[in-house]
Amino acid sequence: MNEINSGKKILSLVLLIAGVVLMIAALWMDFTKTYLVINLGSTKLAFRGMFLVLGALFVLAGLYYIPTVLHHRAIINFIFLFPLLFTFAVTVIIPMFVGFFYSFTDWNGVSFSRMVGFENYAAMFKEPAFIWSLLLTILFVVVNMILVNLVAFLLALLCTTKLKGVGFFRAAYFLPNLIGGIVLGYIWQFIFSNVLTTILNSPYSALANTNTAFMAIIVVYIWQYAGYIMLIYVNGLATVPKDVLEAAQIDGANEIKTLFQIKIPMIAATFTICTFLTLTSAFKQFDVNLALTNGVGTVRNFMGSRLSNGTQMIALNIYNTAFARDQYGYAQAKAILFFIILACVSLIQVRISNKREVEM
Amino acid sequence: MKKFLAILLTLAMVFTLVACGVSTETETPASSGEATEVAAGGIRLFNGKIEIAEPLNHAAEVYEAATGKHVEVESLGGGVDLQATLKQYYQAGNMPDIFVFEGAPDLANWTGMVVDMSDQDWAKDTDAGFTSEDGLVGFPYTTEAIGLAYNKSILEAAGVDPASITGPESMKAAFEAIDAKKDELGITAVIGYCANATELYWSTGQHLFGQYLDAGLDRDDTTYFDLMMNEGKLDTERFTHFAEMVDLFNHYSDPALLISGNYDMQVSGFAAGKYAFVTQGSWIGSSLTNQYKDQYAAAGNFECGYVPYCFEEGIDTILTNAPSHWAVYKDGNVSEAEAFLNWLAGPDGQQIMVQEAGCVSPFKSCTVVANDPFAAPVSEYAAAGKTSSWHWMGQPSNMAQDGTGAIFQDFAMGNEDVASFVEAMASVIPDFVK
Repeated sequence: MNEINSGKKILSLVLLIAGVVLMIAALWMDFTKTYLVINLGSTKLAFRGMFLVLGALFVLAGLYYIPTVLHHRAIINFIFLFPLLFTFAVTVIIPMFVGFFYSFTDWNGVSFSRMVGFENYAAMFKEPAFIWSLLLTILFVVVNMILVNLVAFLLALLCTTKLKGVGFFRAAYFLPNLIGGIVLGYIWQFIFSNVLTTILNSPYSALANTNTAFMAIIVVYIWQYAGYIMLIYVNGLATVPKDVLEAAQIDGANEIKTLFQIKIPMIAATFTICTFLTLTSAFKQFDVNLALTNGVGTVRNFMGSRLSNGTQMIALNIYNTAFARDQYGYAQAKAILFFIILACVSLIQVRISNKREVEM
Repeated sequence: MKKFLAILLTLAMVFTLVACGVSTETETPASSGEATEVAAGGIRLFNGKIEIAEPLNHAAEVYEAATGKHVEVESLGGGVDLQATLKQYYQAGNMPDIFVFEGAPDLANWTGMVVDMSDQDWAKDTDAGFTSEDGLVGFPYTTEAIGLAYNKSILEAAGVDPASITGPESMKAAFEAIDAKKDELGITAVIGYCANATELYWSTGQHLFGQYLDAGLDRDDTTYFDLMMNEGKLDTERFTHFAEMVDLFNHYSDPALLISGNYDMQVSGFAAGKYAFVTQGSWIGSSLTNQYKDQYAAAGNFECGYVPYCFEEGIDTILTNAPSHWAVYKDGNVSEAEAFLNWLAGPDGQQIMVQEAGCVSPFKSCTVVANDPFAAPVSEYAAAGKTSSWHWMGQPSNMAQDGTGAIFQDFAMGNEDVASFVEAMASVIPDFVK
């Protein structure tokens, strides 16, 4: 027993040390830009990546062979979780911290010359165009949260009746959601600019005027999103137990009463999911906005200045700040504010919805 | 047996992982140019003009055949944000050796990272290079012109002599004369002018606005540009004259195009002979002879020419410039990149650039003339010395998109008149130049 343990101990130690050495070597090569390259005829072998991967595998194997009974389960759990944790860290956690850091600099996407402290955060509240985008986005979210859910729920009721060809309607309403937002935006731009102007014989399209352009975005967004939400409602309505409905029928409840007293309370959880989905996705609206109006729209007087970004949502505003103005640091600060707002709103919304479910 | 299988599987996994590591490894240095041994001899050119991708690839092949040096041409364009792509390359350690930039705002990102090429042979052969605080850093590969383009056949049929258009009155008279014969000439409108701020903010907010900044001035005259950039002001008298010209365009443009049209409609309409004038620069020449060649042929392959945007009497220049330049990246393969650019500026390179790519050569020694409807008129203006510069390229990069473009659209929609248009422009510009 002891012999095996000591054998394992040595093996684990050797693997751990070898792994750490290999990984450090790989990182050293990366930072000093020295490459170990072997020429094999037409293919060239470089060892930086191999060292890193092998090193990581050795460390994991070493962890596995550590002779401990107490922590063995924990180590196994860690090894199994490692790929996921690693990917999550590389793609989400680390970029987020880097982003926080950049929001305090004057980064232009290539380099930054100084730390600006909270200057970026202060500047955005003095920028009328940004405040406008923020307010417009909130309005857009409120309007859409109501309208998308209303339209989707009505469509769902329609698609759960015993009409002929219900399957076809379900598919037809869902289809717009399968088209990408950019393509959809351009299709609708054509409809607004070329088709509707001809039919209505108007000199210019709805997209040229700020108010009508904003409504156009809402229409397109509902068209795109209502079918998706409808499917969730259809599923929700299908879970309402038949015996409850029958009991209601026997008690003499009519259709409307059944809908408001039985069906809607029974699918409260579905409402939570749907409002949450519409809320967050409306907040993040970007592609339709970009393709349809690119944010253009005149606001004659807002906080004392004339704006030309009348239909620009916050996501597009952030994008333009970074890519059209080369102010990546400032855009990052706006993005962090956006993140905080979104996180707060989502948390509050889920909390309220959960409470309602319990009461039911 | 079970154990054996487990070991086998583990080995297979390790092998694939390591293989992945190796293959990415060999790719990265090859394109980043960091590991000189892998990248030796080859250079990479980041071209921002997708229209000339084919001729450039051909030029690269000819160059490789002549010198044995490989040039990889990477062409992007058509709505791709070039600078954003470049920044991604930079972050990934994958910078091309030669890359494109438009004007000072773009170049500001790369200060200190580009090579001064004033010692190169081509530098003595042109005035169109781009100079910044780092020296002569921009290689000009073409010249483009912005003037009021016209269809010679229509003007002749209407009995209007383009040379008679020298100021606002004569321009108005010419427009009226053509408008009166619209049905007879079979045209839709006198001018194809589009103020759609979503699609064509760059045409109005940059090119047309650029006429206010430069038209009629010497190439190095920055009076109005400085007034705007330093004090955030417009010269009210000059700008009012400019606004009156835009008002004339609004009035005589095709209503279907004016507010809700797009670039394709505008250029194809001109190619098809629907408009006597069009507010686009010389780059539409290649669209006429390639993309819309059927419409262009149906309209009789008419000759084209330029009149100046003469919103004031005495303005007799069109605006010509290199629309973008190529810079050489300091940490790239500098000597090879410079050698390629020198070759491209020489007779063999220019032959391809002019005849195949349809570029108007910015080099004095070049004698080849492009087979492009706008090449001859541009060369004439250049030879007569009647050209002004493109100082609009130095304006804040988002000013047209986020500010002035929408005001041109409001003006076209009739929401503004001349006076309030001038006022609105004057009120918006300080937001961008401060």
